[in-house]
Amino acid sequence: MKTILYVEDNEFNRKIVRHLLARTTYRLIEAMDGEAGVATAREARPDLVIMDIQLPKLSGLEATRQLAAAPETRSIPIIVITSFALAGDEQKAKEAGAAAYLAKPYSPRELLGMIRELAPES
Amino acid sequence: MSPHHIESRAVSRDPAPAPTPGQGERIARLLLAYSPLGALVRRVARIRASVHGKLLGAFLLIAVLLIAMGAMSLQSIASVARQSRLLDQARERVDASRQIEHALGLQMNFTRNALLLKDDATIESMFRENNRFQDTFNRLELGAPPAQRETIQQIRAAQDRVMATVARIASLIRDGKGDEAMELHLNEGYPLYREIATLVTQAVRTEEAGMGQLREGVEATYRRALLLTGGFAVASVVLALGLGFVISWSFILPVRAADEFLGRVATGEFGRSIEVPNRDEFGELAVRINHMSGELHRLYDDQQRASHQLRVLNAELEQASRAKSDFLASMSHELRTPMNAILGFTEMIRDGLYGEIPAEIQEPVTDIHTCGKQLLGLINNVLDLSKIEAGHMELALGEYLVDDVVSTVKLSLRALAVTKGLDLVTAVPPDAPVCVGDAKRITQCLMNLAGNALKFTREGRVEIRVDVVGENVVFAVSDTGIGIAPEQATAIFEEFRQADVTVSRDFGGTGLGLSITKKLVELHGGRIWVESEPGKGSTFFVEIPVRVAAEASA
Repeated sequence: MKTILYVEDNEFNRKIVRHLLARTTYRLIEAMDGEAGVATAREARPDLVIMDIQLPKLSGLEATRQLAAAPETRSIPIIVITSFALAGDEQKAKEAGAAAYLAKPYSPRELLGMIRELAPES
Repeated sequence: MSPHHIESRAVSRDPAPAPTPGQGERIARLLLAYSPLGALVRRVARIRASVHGKLLGAFLLIAVLLIAMGAMSLQSIASVARQSRLLDQARERVDASRQIEHALGLQMNFTRNALLLKDDATIESMFRENNRFQDTFNRLELGAPPAQRETIQQIRAAQDRVMATVARIASLIRDGKGDEAMELHLNEGYPLYREIATLVTQAVRTEEAGMGQLREGVEATYRRALLLTGGFAVASVVLALGLGFVISWSFILPVRAADEFLGRVATGEFGRSIEVPNRDEFGELAVRINHMSGELHRLYDDQQRASHQLRVLNAELEQASRAKSDFLASMSHELRTPMNAILGFTEMIRDGLYGEIPAEIQEPVTDIHTCGKQLLGLINNVLDLSKIEAGHMELALGEYLVDDVVSTVKLSLRALAVTKGLDLVTAVPPDAPVCVGDAKRITQCLMNLAGNALKFTREGRVEIRVDVVGENVVFAVSDTGIGIAPEQATAIFEEFRQADVTVSRDFGGTGLGLSITKKLVELHGGRIWVESEPGKGSTFFVEIPVRVAAEASA
C-alpha cells in the first residue's frame, strides 16, 4: 500500500483529495503547513508528496526545496500545485525539485492520473 | 545615496587643457611674478576707467612724448640757426676789419706817393678811400657785440685823426712844404696807422675767438639734439612696450581667470567665485560670471534635490508595484483555492465518485460546473489584465506549429459550434513554418476571437484562416454575425467595452477578452485589427512575427 502526503491548508481541498483517494488503495496523510509537511515527510517517508505552493509558515516552494535537498527524502516525487499568479511559477517549481506540477484549479481526474503515473498502485 | 555622491560622480569631464606656454609667455610670467610690473598691472586693473579710456590714455601718453621730442628738436634747430647767423655776422665783421686794414695800407701808400710825387692827382687819391671807410665802419658797427663796439669807436676816432693828419699833409704838400709834410707823416701819420693796424688786428682776433665759441656752441647743440632725440626715441619705445605689457596683462589676467573659472564650473565645480582687481568692463564681466555661477549652483542643487526626491519616489513606487504584484499572487491563489473545491467536487459528483446521481440532479450539477468554469475564466481574465497592466506578463517563448494551435482551438470550441448549429472551419497552409512565440497565449488569443465569433453569430459559419505573409503569420477569424459599426472598430479593444450595451445583455461577457487579446498580441510585437460590416459579419486579423524576438516580449 502506497502512502501519499498532501500538504494543503484549505480544508475543502484536502477533503477533495481525501474523497478522491477513498476508493483507491492509497493511504493519505495530511499536513496543514510547510513546516509540518517537511516534518511529516521525514517521519512517514511517503511514496509521493502533493504540495500546495502557498502555505503558512513555510512556502510550498521552500518545503519542496528542503525535501529535495535532504538525503532521506530526496527520492520522493513531489507534485507542486501552482496557481499561475505570476509568470515563472512552473519554472520555479521545477527548479525547487518538483517531479510535476499542476495548475490550480485542477481536475481531480487529472490529479489522480498524475498520482498513478508517479506512484503506481501496487 | 547622498546627493554629494552623485555630484562627485557627475564631475567626469576634464576641463579643456591649457595651451603649453611659449617663450614669450614664460618671460611674461617671470616679469609678473618678480618685477614691479606685476604690482603695476594690478594697479592699472584697479583704475576705475573703461578699457577704451585706458587704451586711449596710453596712446595719448606716447603721443605727448613724441610731441615733446618734436618740440625739443625744433628748439635745437632754432638755436643752431641763430648761432649760424651770428657766425655769419662775425665773419662779415672780420671781412670789414680786413678791408679797413687794406684801405689803410692803400692810404699809407697814396700818402707816401703824394710825398714823393707832390702832384694834385696823387694828393686827391689820398682822400679817395675815405668814403669807403665810412661804409665799412657802418657795416662793422652793425651787429657788433658791445665789447667790440669800443674797439671800433677807437678805430673810428683814430681814423678821424688820420684823416685830419692826411688833410694837413696834403695842404703842406700843396704849399710846397715837403719837409714839414714828411715830418708830420712820420711823427703823427705813421704812428696813427700803426695804432689803427693794432686795433684792427685786436678786433679781428676778438671776432675770431667769438667765432670759435660759436662753432663750439653749434657742435654742442647738435650733440645735445642727437642725445635728446635718441633719448626720447628710447623712452618712447620703452613706454610703448611697458604700457602695452601692463595694459594688455591687466586685460589678459581677468580673461584667463574667467576662462579657468568657467572651466571648473563646466565640470560641475561650484561654490567658488572669481576674484579680479579690475574695475573696468572685465570687472563687470567677473561680477556677472559670479552671479551666473551662483545661479547655476542653485539650479544644480535644485536639480539634485529634485532627482533625489524622484529616486525616493521611484523607490516608493517600486515598493508599491512589488506590493501590487504580491497582492496579485496572493489574490490569484486565494480566488483559485475555493474555485478548486467547487470545480473539484462537482467534477467528482459528475464522475459518480459519490455513487449514481439521480437524473433530476444531473442538470443542476452540470450547470454549477459550467458556471464555475465561467467564473474561473473571468477571474483569469481580470488577473491577466492586471498582470499586463503591472508589466508582469512575461511570454514563455518556444517553438510551435500553427496547425497545433488552430487544432486546439477547434477542438475546444467544436461542442459550442455544434450546439449553436454553426459551421466551424479552419484553413492552415500545409507549408507553414515552425514558429516561435508563446503558444499558450497565442492559443488564448485565438480562442477569444473564435469564441466571440461563435457567440455573436446566430447562423452561418465561423472560419479560422492562417496565412504567412513575409516575416509575419496572419490569423484571420471571420464570422457571419451581427458585425461592428466602423466607429466602434477601435473602441472594442478597450477594457470593458462591447459594441453596444445591449449586446452584453443578449450575448453575455465582460468585454475583457478583446482587450487582453490586443495586449498579448502587442507583447508578441504584433498588431490586431478588425474589418466589418454591420449585419454581414466581421473578420478579426492578428498579425505576429513568425519568430518573435526575445526583446519584443520584454
